[in-house]
Amino acid sequence: MPKIEDPIEFELFKNAIFAIGDEMAVTICRTTYSGVLRDNMDFSTALADADGRMVAQGLTLPGHLGSIPAALAVVVERFKDDIGPGDMFIMNDPFDGGMHLPDIFIFQPLFHDGKRVAFAATISHHSDVGGRVPGSNASDSTEIYQEGLRIPPLKLFEGGRRNETMWLMIEKNVRIPIQVLGDLRAQMAACHIAETQFGELLERYGAEKVAAYMEEVIDYAERLTRAAVADLPDGQWSFEDWIDDDGIDLDRPIRLFVTVTKSGDEMVVDWTGSSEQVKGAINNSMSFTVAHSVAAIRSVLPLNIPSNEGVFRVIKVIAPPGTIANMVLPAACAARGLTGFRMGDCMFGALAMMLPDQVCAASDGGNTGVSIGGYDDDRKPYIYVDFSCGTHGGRPWADGLQGNSNMFANMASQSVEVIETEQPMQILSYEFIPDKAGPGKFRGGAPYRRDYKFLEREAVLQVRSDRRKIRPYGLYGGYPGKPSANFMNPQAENQPMESKLTMNILRGTVFRHELAGGGGWGDPLERDPDKVLADVRNELVSVEAALADYGVAVNTNPWSVDLAATETQRGKLSAGRPSETAKILWQEPVGVEV
Amino acid sequence: MTSFRVGADIGGTFTDLVLLGQDGTLLTKKIPSTVEAYEEAIVDGLSSVFETAGLEPGQISEVLHGTTVASNAILEHKGARTGLITTKGFRDVLEIRTLRMPRLYDLHWEKPPPLVPRYLRLDVDERVNNRGEVERALDLDEVERVVQRLLDEQVETIAVCLINSYANGDHEWAIKGVIERLAPDLLHSISAEVLPEISEYQRTSTTVINAYVMPIVSRYLRQLSARLQGDGIKAPLLLMQSNGGLISAHVAERKPANIIESGPAGGVVGAQALARKLDLPDIITFDMGGTTAKASMVEDGEFTRSLDYQVGGGIMVGSRLMTGAGYHLKVPAIDLAEVGAGGGSVVWIDAGGSLQIGPQSAGAVPGPVCYGMGGEEPTVTDANVILGYLNPEFLVGGDLELQADKGRAVFQASIAEPMGLDLAHAAHGAHQIAISNMIRAIRAISSERGRDPRAYTLFAFGGNGPLFAAGMAKALGMTRIVVPPHPGLFSSFGLLYADVEHHYSRSMMQVLREAEPAALDGIWGGLEAEARAQLEADGYRPEQIEIRRTANMHYKGQIYELSVPAPNGDFSPEMVAELEERFGREHERTYGHRAGPEEPVMLVNAQLIGRAIPDHPGVPDQLKSGDTRADRAVNTRQAYFGPEVGWLEARVLSRADLDGERRGPLIIEEYDATCLVPPDAKVRRDGFGNIVIDLDYSTA
Repeated sequence: MPKIEDPIEFELFKNAIFAIGDEMAVTICRTTYSGVLRDNMDFSTALADADGRMVAQGLTLPGHLGSIPAALAVVVERFKDDIGPGDMFIMNDPFDGGMHLPDIFIFQPLFHDGKRVAFAATISHHSDVGGRVPGSNASDSTEIYQEGLRIPPLKLFEGGRRNETMWLMIEKNVRIPIQVLGDLRAQMAACHIAETQFGELLERYGAEKVAAYMEEVIDYAERLTRAAVADLPDGQWSFEDWIDDDGIDLDRPIRLFVTVTKSGDEMVVDWTGSSEQVKGAINNSMSFTVAHSVAAIRSVLPLNIPSNEGVFRVIKVIAPPGTIANMVLPAACAARGLTGFRMGDCMFGALAMMLPDQVCAASDGGNTGVSIGGYDDDRKPYIYVDFSCGTHGGRPWADGLQGNSNMFANMASQSVEVIETEQPMQILSYEFIPDKAGPGKFRGGAPYRRDYKFLEREAVLQVRSDRRKIRPYGLYGGYPGKPSANFMNPQAENQPMESKLTMNILRGTVFRHELAGGGGWGDPLERDPDKVLADVRNELVSVEAALADYGVAVNTNPWSVDLAATETQRGKLSAGRPSETAKILWQEPVGVEV
Repeated sequence: MTSFRVGADIGGTFTDLVLLGQDGTLLTKKIPSTVEAYEEAIVDGLSSVFETAGLEPGQISEVLHGTTVASNAILEHKGARTGLITTKGFRDVLEIRTLRMPRLYDLHWEKPPPLVPRYLRLDVDERVNNRGEVERALDLDEVERVVQRLLDEQVETIAVCLINSYANGDHEWAIKGVIERLAPDLLHSISAEVLPEISEYQRTSTTVINAYVMPIVSRYLRQLSARLQGDGIKAPLLLMQSNGGLISAHVAERKPANIIESGPAGGVVGAQALARKLDLPDIITFDMGGTTAKASMVEDGEFTRSLDYQVGGGIMVGSRLMTGAGYHLKVPAIDLAEVGAGGGSVVWIDAGGSLQIGPQSAGAVPGPVCYGMGGEEPTVTDANVILGYLNPEFLVGGDLELQADKGRAVFQASIAEPMGLDLAHAAHGAHQIAISNMIRAIRAISSERGRDPRAYTLFAFGGNGPLFAAGMAKALGMTRIVVPPHPGLFSSFGLLYADVEHHYSRSMMQVLREAEPAALDGIWGGLEAEARAQLEADGYRPEQIEIRRTANMHYKGQIYELSVPAPNGDFSPEMVAELEERFGREHERTYGHRAGPEEPVMLVNAQLIGRAIPDHPGVPDQLKSGDTRADRAVNTRQAYFGPEVGWLEARVLSRADLDGERRGPLIIEEYDATCLVPPDAKVRRDGFGNIVIDLDYSTA
């Protein structure tokens, strides 16, 4: 029971403080300029106590879980007593509390009777922060100095006065200042909303009670998390997965290795054994590794646990410095989203060993980033950044979702028609691809393709994709998903391309990206034949694949399952199989005709 | 003979009928809905009212109808077998949606299945670009083959949505021609007709929904009309749209997408009309029933409309950021925010030791513990009985005898004891927490949009609205509450206030300051001509027609539009500048900041509403309740008002007993709802029969 006099009043306070976090998020979302922010919801908001401990996070990006406390800790430590009313802090340096350069933090300390009582905190992914390439998200940068403007913790406002130097430095170092400054204004507006509403809480409850209740909100989340963790089995589970390469050393796969230890009401996630940091820009700050580790664990805990410091007291995350999971200078990190997504898959692998009937197989590996940028004939810059993801792995109780965001991003796609009015671009195709989902008793989600036709004179095309060589794993007898693919001019020479690339393109070029299929769960020979029939009828599985992968013979006119032929085929396929079901499959098992 | 207008509102559980005579006579009837054939309940209910009150069918002058027939078809996946024709390469737009899921960290979430399965989604090799130029011409032979394939699959209806058809719909019209040739009787919907607006997913989804419910709605409306006519009711049948205006049954058959959220609109429309009479331009409506609470806002006498919403999106959980739960429908609808809290919401304690309300609900069956119908989990209603707010002996107006002791025992054992609180304090806590949950609905339509709720009057209705209104108002710092007559039937009563209305829009997608004034005239002028023609076809004279133009805009690069009024009449360059300035002001008002003049404003849509103003007000000022049922009691009851105030003796009376100004605590029991007046409030009945509560903060 809470150590609080009036539990009802406390509950009312808790509702109110989380509503502030949400309302901040709504403010950013509705007023933002950049497509990345509006569609990918690549931002987070929170309210923290006077010491910078996060009390309430708004409903926002899982990949930002825990980023705000890490950043705020640096501000509090650095500025100590030099934090006053009317101040507003800005920062983005990944080696000084930040995540990667496009993620800019804005913090506003909140005061009551001259005493600091809280912080309003926001983090937004900005559409450009300078650097080598438009969008500042190149995967082939090899050191932080190439990636754009590095902002250590500084004051954007001091005592209510705008820091013009800072403001101008930003304006002159980013490609599309209207967007960046507009989005900074949106972040500031969210902080102001928090200030007003937190002020109302102070008025109602008084500063002392507010401080006590904030502490209790953190303790409450800790209690909920401990209770849920205690219900999980004790033990230790490891999982290994590989990123194809870093886009620089193309023949060197990058190892992710995680060990999850659960004992009593605590968990430890240890990334020791993961690859050293790499040249390409996919290195993680420690805070990003923490975010994905904790987000994955939250997916097997009850849904009602609020996001705050209390959760992090229960789940410890370890990663040795100098690794891809905890980079040191001068690592490049702009495209580290890839590593975060894949850490999610790796965590799910370990959790699937712990909880075999609760966790899905591998997803498509997170989003592929395609950016096309350059200058039009009037030398006006344009930047088109598009992220694609869409397949989940099969689950122990149902097929994997398809045409659905990766859960670590929960992004939205941009409307094809809006893209065509705003960008020198046409989208020629956006549809599911048959026979690429990993077969299983519950199959993985079907991936989609997206074809981009470029309409300006010349541009730089950048692609960050993966899951080409190392496929999305299947679980407990489910097969892996088919790999992702890139092609140039699919309607003409259809030239296969690398998974990560930076190149010049000319007017009329068509670039095609195909996502990887989600991994399957369970033996495909146990799949309900009617489900296979429905997939064939929907042209997601071919007649041939139905027979080869699922052992199901489908008649097409009229639509039906040939039960006798199915039984024979399934018998034949299972005879050629190893007797023991593989827990994890990276390739089709022996005996499958591909 | 007095003529009567009928408001008929069909809900999932009950069908409510309200008959209003020209002389103010009001007759009401609440009957169980007939799910197999919804029209039965209306027809049977009416004949029973005719019998009791001695009315003739010929006395009915108008039937106004709100219905969940269309939304139920979607929620239960019982719509028609629908085919979809799309542009090659875009067969899966309907299923891929926007990718976004409504829940984080939930591996069990399932995507709503597409209303058209993939094998009934076929594509044709054609392409129009964003300027409306044909890049690849339509092959009519291919169209014939595709349409024939769908016919062979025995579809009952076909939807057509091609890429960029908002800019040029010729190909869709050509496909429509083929459908009409090959299957003259087949219902169909093309996006160029249903929603000629940019964004392929929203347009496809809306067109598909229109096609999917069209056969069901059309069948239902025809049956209802036939049954009414068969009973001698020849009066026109008008349908409530999601946007709060009425349309004729005939128009509704063609555009059923407009009546999907017809159900909750009636109450808001009624509140708006009442507020106008009371000279209250700014109100917040609060409609609370057994499972959900809904809030909306009327500002400057007009309700706010959202540009799109999700059908079956479930209950808003704290924030409207998380979309993807339902089926996207881009038609204007009264902007309602909803939370899963009602009388049936379950009260429970979570693993962290915190008291929680809902979202699980005991519903009508088994219902709260005190109903004695098998409910075993304590609910909000049980808490209200413990607190003395609700009559502990009978369900007000009903014949159900309550088992209050049973509710007390369960609440004591499962809530009060584990929390270490006495029973009344725990029940009061549940009541307060329900309020703090529901406040989020009001915040979503007010403070999240830069509006301060304290400047608004709270209009409370629904079976539970009047019970929670004072608590809600207090928590938000609002000072005045209005509870209209028949609060429990107000959704159907509100129908009687609605006007016939048609909405039109056109995609613009251009920088406002670069727009030619003459071109803007052409667009809005065209929409106005359409609206006038439709209203004249509906039988209205030109002078009865009221036109309102609005422009939806955002800064270039933003995605969420804000609506501002656009000038009626011819555009001048100054008016274009003024429109841009209005947008800047609205942005600042809503979000607290605006951009400098260097940032261009995009005009996304031109919208226009044509409304018909009837010659006589539909609802007289004075109502004569024809209701002869006696209200149950004039007595007193102990009621609990929190640990600081404790138990007080509250007078229990009926609305009719409310003469002059009285002070709380007071409980007003009516046939269909109970209204709670707390100790620090004053209450009176106004000239229109409304209960008006004023909260006094000076003593607080």
